[in-house]
Amino acid sequence: MGRSYIVEDDVEGYLSRLCSQLAGPVTGLLIGQSTVQRDFVVMATRTPQNNESADGGKSVDKEWVSEHARQVSRMLPGGLSVLGVFIISESDAKDTLTTLRQLVFSVENLISSERLWTPADDDVTDCVTLHVNPKTRKTVCRTFDIKDPKSVAKPADWKYQSGVCSSWAMVSCCLSVDLMVPLPENMAFTRNMDDCLKEELKVWAQQIERGVCLIDGKKLPEDAELKAGQKKNVRQTISAQLLITPDMQTAADVVQRCGGCVSVSGAIHSRAFLHSNKPKAKLAEKLLKRDIVSTVATRVQMLLEEPQTQNEENKGRKQTEQFCLPRRVFCAVKSTGPLSVCDYQFSDEGLSEMTDRFKEMLDMDAAEEDLDATQEMIAEVIESEVTEEESAEENEMLDPWRNNYIGVAMATAVALLALAASIVYLSDV
Amino acid sequence: MVLADSESAVILRLRGPLDLKCLLDSIDVVPMQKTISRTFEALRLQVKSESCVLAVCNSPVLIWPNKSVFEEITPDAPCEDIFQFIQTDDQETSGKRSTKKKNKKGVSASVINLSLMMEATKPGPVSAPILTRTAHKSHLLCATLPMDCAIWSSCSDTIKDGCEQLMKALTRQLFEMEKVILQCMKGTTLLVPEPLHFLLPEPNGLVTVVLPSGVPDKELEAQRRELHGQFELPDNRPFFRRANTYHFPNEPYKDGYLRNPHTVLTHPTLDNGKVYLVQGIYSYHHYMQDHMDDNGWGCAYRSLQTICSWFQQQGYVERGVPSHKEIQQALVEVGDKQASFVGSRQWIGSIEVQAVLNHLLGVTSKIMFVSQGSELASKGRELANHFMTEGTPVMIGGGVLAHTILGIAWSETTGEIRYLILDPHYTGAEDLPVITEKGWCGWKGPDFWDQTAYYNLCLPQRPRVI
Repeated sequence: MGRSYIVEDDVEGYLSRLCSQLAGPVTGLLIGQSTVQRDFVVMATRTPQNNESADGGKSVDKEWVSEHARQVSRMLPGGLSVLGVFIISESDAKDTLTTLRQLVFSVENLISSERLWTPADDDVTDCVTLHVNPKTRKTVCRTFDIKDPKSVAKPADWKYQSGVCSSWAMVSCCLSVDLMVPLPENMAFTRNMDDCLKEELKVWAQQIERGVCLIDGKKLPEDAELKAGQKKNVRQTISAQLLITPDMQTAADVVQRCGGCVSVSGAIHSRAFLHSNKPKAKLAEKLLKRDIVSTVATRVQMLLEEPQTQNEENKGRKQTEQFCLPRRVFCAVKSTGPLSVCDYQFSDEGLSEMTDRFKEMLDMDAAEEDLDATQEMIAEVIESEVTEEESAEENEMLDPWRNNYIGVAMATAVALLALAASIVYLSDV
Repeated sequence: MVLADSESAVILRLRGPLDLKCLLDSIDVVPMQKTISRTFEALRLQVKSESCVLAVCNSPVLIWPNKSVFEEITPDAPCEDIFQFIQTDDQETSGKRSTKKKNKKGVSASVINLSLMMEATKPGPVSAPILTRTAHKSHLLCATLPMDCAIWSSCSDTIKDGCEQLMKALTRQLFEMEKVILQCMKGTTLLVPEPLHFLLPEPNGLVTVVLPSGVPDKELEAQRRELHGQFELPDNRPFFRRANTYHFPNEPYKDGYLRNPHTVLTHPTLDNGKVYLVQGIYSYHHYMQDHMDDNGWGCAYRSLQTICSWFQQQGYVERGVPSHKEIQQALVEVGDKQASFVGSRQWIGSIEVQAVLNHLLGVTSKIMFVSQGSELASKGRELANHFMTEGTPVMIGGGVLAHTILGIAWSETTGEIRYLILDPHYTGAEDLPVITEKGWCGWKGPDFWDQTAYYNLCLPQRPRVI
């Protein structure tokens, strides 16, 4: 038997609007939750127009769709993911199969390349494809097993239902992050920093995965059901805690030379959604841990993609540079349910840039007041617990962009304090 | 044994790695020491912070010792109560098995294992992370500290008391580790400290000592001397070699040999009698072990192996227990036997045991000769002295079978005597009840000896070292 997708009513409305508006073929992403027992689709979003494409969007651009999917998956909290793609085209459903197949494989390849968490055995590897004929409105739903490169289309059920978005439980936590990575001695290229950070993030991700997750303060047996979250239309938040323990390292040399170091220090808000049909503690833990790993990795990645982080001119001149990672801002998928999506806001961005991005990426009409920016603050470089030595040195605060050049590290990075004390700050901006 | 005093005691053992990580701006001694000390201070603050969590292994019990949060249990309950929450899926774990054993005699303590964890979550809202990049040639110190604290708590102690003691021990261990790191620092070469547990004679009991890892025992004599002074221990026998480390009752010996099977036996009661026993730990070596069919000829070899295991486990020698072949080779090397002896199935006697102990272990032995087994009954005082001053297992052989004597019960007034015998002729599996109930390890009267045969006793003398 094939998979059976239970789809939020609004998705039907969205797709039919697209059907009536557009002439050419339209592609887009399907977003929801796939578990061994059930599959839910909560959102659909069309691929944004590619103004630079050669034929003005007449044909399907695999790379463009995949890049859209990559951006969108960064905006999905734990429990929500890009499940597959849809296409609205007048061609016969059979004729679009090859295109759809290529699309889901390409999308999945790109998204999974950014993942730092380890896939589990019970992860669903089927991706959904949906063909809609704009004339007849006939929908054909098929799945491909993404793990198997030779997989063939399997028919699947596509069923609309109202209120799919409303019966979800939310598991959330705030978590401290404190990473410190040595940089190689001959650190001349940013490439090095990216690689070092990525390696450290992988180690950290494993530590998170090994962590003990507490739900409402308790260590629950794996097969336990979450008591909360089974009522409809009630915002139910289950709070989680994570206990971690470092990995036993057996490095040959306790002390090694390095050319400097990079630290990531602060805290994040993480959340994951579970459909409230008998939600299991094990699933909640898995989804939340993945969100923790993803939200940190995404932000570090985003920062590294920023031009000024890569700015070669700064290299070698500043001994210590600080960059604020973007904060996480949430937006409800529907005003009635708990489900939300998210975006990341850099300190030089306003909320209107968030709403623009929700529109562009997820085709959501969100107003600024719909955004929930209360969970995280953008870090200010705090001068806390400055010891005598450090306070003697005047910190020069320059904030031309998002980065602050400042010598006092966060109180948590005690080791850095010692270092900062002896650094001479060069500022030439 | 010391353990006998502590019946129904509970050992709380807290383990968990802590990351010691810091940038060393300078590798000159003083600033480096300062940075390391500051990093240790930060770790001590970390374990004193509210995010520190003690998780009882294989159970849902969680304790936040620094904010007095006890999940699943009440802080005023006795430590023993924790056992009911511990899942025991096999015999390896402490929990129920130890509790059951409690009804029997010769009970050792039961262990509650806890892991040291840190809560990474915190209340929101939070401040998003900052990435700091420092381009500055320096050194990174990165090590994992294997924290391992054990405390002996009596059953009347509450869980809260136990945790307080553990947390004190944890902080103390961080201080000791700092001391060891700073003491052993040579340039940029640092040694990771290693906590080891030792069960000392009363009143010390179970103590934890931090030593630099990777340094062989023979280079640590100065540290040991200091420890002997600190704990007021005699300066003529090892207490703090790695071989002396305490073996927790819930950790099975991996080599498969039984340890000290005699501890489950009931001492004979003699009028005005006293018991004199082997001191410390030996393993029981007997026929058919190690895939070696020595049934009928290997009893003295096995008795010798038991003696060697004692010297190894008391820390006198690092050499492992020799095989039959190694024993034979040693006898060839000392010129006692022809080369053809190696690989043969020939018996050896007490004199050979003495020679091998001397050659392989550097241990000298006294030989006691009795021309008739009946004379053994009058050797009570000498044997009692041996067990008091040397405390080593004694090999007895001669005209007949070889045995190991582990102790005697002797009445100075009546001269009555019983011998605690470990019989190497046992061919079965390592099954303690069979061994003790069938007398393979048991108390024997003077009639145990062949009254007319001659006997040689090899009494190994322990070296006076620490």
